Amino acid sequence: MAASALDIRDVRKDFGATSVLKGVSLSLAPGEFLVLLGPSGCGKSTLLNMIAGLDPITAGEIAIDGRVVNQVHPKDRDIAMVFQSYALYPNMSVAKNIAFGLEMRHIDRAERERRIADVSALLQIDHLLKRKPSQLSGGQRQRVAMGRALVRDPKVFLFDEPLSNLDAKLRVDMRTEIKKLHRRLGTTIVYVTHDQIEAMTLATRIAVMRAGVIEQLATPQQLYDEPANMYVGGFVGSPPMNFIPATLVENGSALAVRFAVGPQGAGGEVTLPLVDTPAAARGYVGKPVVFGLRPDALTDFSDAEAMLRPHGQRLDVEVDVLEPTGAEALTYVTLGGTTAIARVNARRAVDVGETASLLADMSHARLFDPDSEQAIG
Amino acid sequence: MTELSIHGGANTASARLGRLAIYGALAIFAAFYLMPLAVMVMTSLKDLDDIRTNSLLALPERLTTFAWSHAWNEACIGTECTGLAPYFVNSLVMAIPAVAISTFLGALNGYALTKWRFRGANLIFGLLLFGSFIPFQVVILPMAQTLGFMGLSSSVAGLVLVHTAYGINFTTLFFRNYYVSLPDDLVRAATIDGAGFFTVFWRIVLPLSPSIIVVTVIWQFTQIWNDFLFGASFTSGGSQPVTVALNNLVNTTTGVKMYNVDMAAALIAAAPTLLVYVVAGRYFIRGLTAGAVKG
Ligand SMILES: Nc1ncnc2c1ncn2[C@@H]1O[C@H](COP(=O)(O)OP(=O)(O)OP(=O)(O)O)[C@@H](O)[C@H]1O
Ligand SMILES: [Mg+2]
Repeated sequence: MAASALDIRDVRKDFGATSVLKGVSLSLAPGEFLVLLGPSGCGKSTLLNMIAGLDPITAGEIAIDGRVVNQVHPKDRDIAMVFQSYALYPNMSVAKNIAFGLEMRHIDRAERERRIADVSALLQIDHLLKRKPSQLSGGQRQRVAMGRALVRDPKVFLFDEPLSNLDAKLRVDMRTEIKKLHRRLGTTIVYVTHDQIEAMTLATRIAVMRAGVIEQLATPQQLYDEPANMYVGGFVGSPPMNFIPATLVENGSALAVRFAVGPQGAGGEVTLPLVDTPAAARGYVGKPVVFGLRPDALTDFSDAEAMLRPHGQRLDVEVDVLEPTGAEALTYVTLGGTTAIARVNARRAVDVGETASLLADMSHARLFDPDSEQAIG
Repeated sequence: MTELSIHGGANTASARLGRLAIYGALAIFAAFYLMPLAVMVMTSLKDLDDIRTNSLLALPERLTTFAWSHAWNEACIGTECTGLAPYFVNSLVMAIPAVAISTFLGALNGYALTKWRFRGANLIFGLLLFGSFIPFQVVILPMAQTLGFMGLSSSVAGLVLVHTAYGINFTTLFFRNYYVSLPDDLVRAATIDGAGFFTVFWRIVLPLSPSIIVVTVIWQFTQIWNDFLFGASFTSGGSQPVTVALNNLVNTTTGVKMYNVDMAAALIAAAPTLLVYVVAGRYFIRGLTAGAVKG
């Protein structure tokens, strides 16, 4: 196996007395697209700046392509960075902006011209080369900023929220384009965002961060299906995972979750048997747990659905709120005393106040410890 | 539409009256402030008979440039009757390098203080800020001694040093405040691109600074050209700047008082600062608007 493109070993960063990164470790194979995902202020940009070498690390080790770079100057780390503000040099033309890094590396003029031509063709900005950044639209500036990074052909690309200054439509377009570019060039990318849809669509792996630690590092699908804790389950997915307070009970030889249905438990209690319960869950029998279920595993009950989902359990509950979104309607119900959301086919949605028959797909159930908020098993 | 125009009509009458009052007041103030200048210019173009016989405010009977040429290269300053010319040159030789050096160092300091926040940067900035509040008079004695040690007493080079040292506080303050609003990401991007401290300064920071450079140059030139105290304290005889020479010219008490020459000399001494305002002021405004359209 080739050396990893990027190794981060127990990296810490303190600003005075405040600890911003509290021991971050990860390893990235060449060609991976890692997204650092987390809320504002969790330390994503700080981590990126450490990789770039723009800020010294307090403790730990960073290696790029097998070489420890703690003491290496940013320009010699073989990285390129795209900034959220683009940071285009306002006094230079687009061509000069793109070539500045090459010029600083004393690459001769003919070679520079050739590379500018390649990159600008790739990004479709060849007609803008003579303009100044102030004469470009937001999307064009974004492309130039990417061009400046691409032209250098570094080992690792660093992107700090590159799309957050674009309008919604352009953001989706550029997202697709970045994904294509990654496919085509096979580069290693570390990409910072707090937009979980961006993360899910782009990443080969996602590191979900909170307050200076990585809560989970996994593929988008693993993150979605098996969140390591309630924080990740709540942060990833829209709408977020439902967290239903329940009691773990024995149900024959298997285990089941039991919780009240409807406002003030008006619908009585249900007991839903679990599938493949982890061994660790045995210790929780008779105790409270949090039953996590994605809204798309809580759907309308139809015979067809029930056939497709062999572990589907029927659940009758009064509808509190209905939010139609076109193809589906988000149906808000009360389960275990808190609000849960079901994704229901809009044509089979039930009105507020009436009783909906929902289908809970227990094969997607996830149990959490209510105190530690960590997944059980 | 009609209703609007009726209201508009009613408004215009009173608005016009208000306008008239405003412009009237402005004209009076302008005349008041321009009066001394007008009197100076008129007096400098009169001959002595005219000045003696006619009122201060009267227009010249005969226009003559005698006073100007006399002030420029004949008037006696102390015992030397060379006119202002050599002292004017002194001032240029003093002001141009002092303005250039202090502006350049201010830009460099401001850049280092904002974009390379080294340990103690805030302390240094605090001290510089403090320095700009020290009155001239306080530094005269130690400065004189320093110049003595350096062998620069009573020389134009000494004045260049004094003005540069005294000006750096202000120029640093100007540039620092300007560069604070320059995005740090520019420097970070350039660092990753491989540009060092001075390359970033020359290639990226300075090209973005014309407007603040103009402001600083205007300020520094005015301060240094108009300075009297340092010039009077640290120079003598042939190395004096024009401000000191002007004072000596006006105070030279041989023969009749030549008001027209005094006025012409004062105008000559003031001309360069006026010129800087007129020339650079335009660039200043252009710099401001150019900055405004930048994204
Ligand atoms: N120079 C600094 N001195 C002190 N604290 C800092 C400094 N830089 C960042 N921080 C703190 O570190 C924390 C993480 O900042 P960081 O910029 O990495 O957040 P982020 O995850 O990128 O957030 P955002 O999504 O808003 O960009 C924040 O709480 C911030 O206040
Ligand atoms: Mg950030």
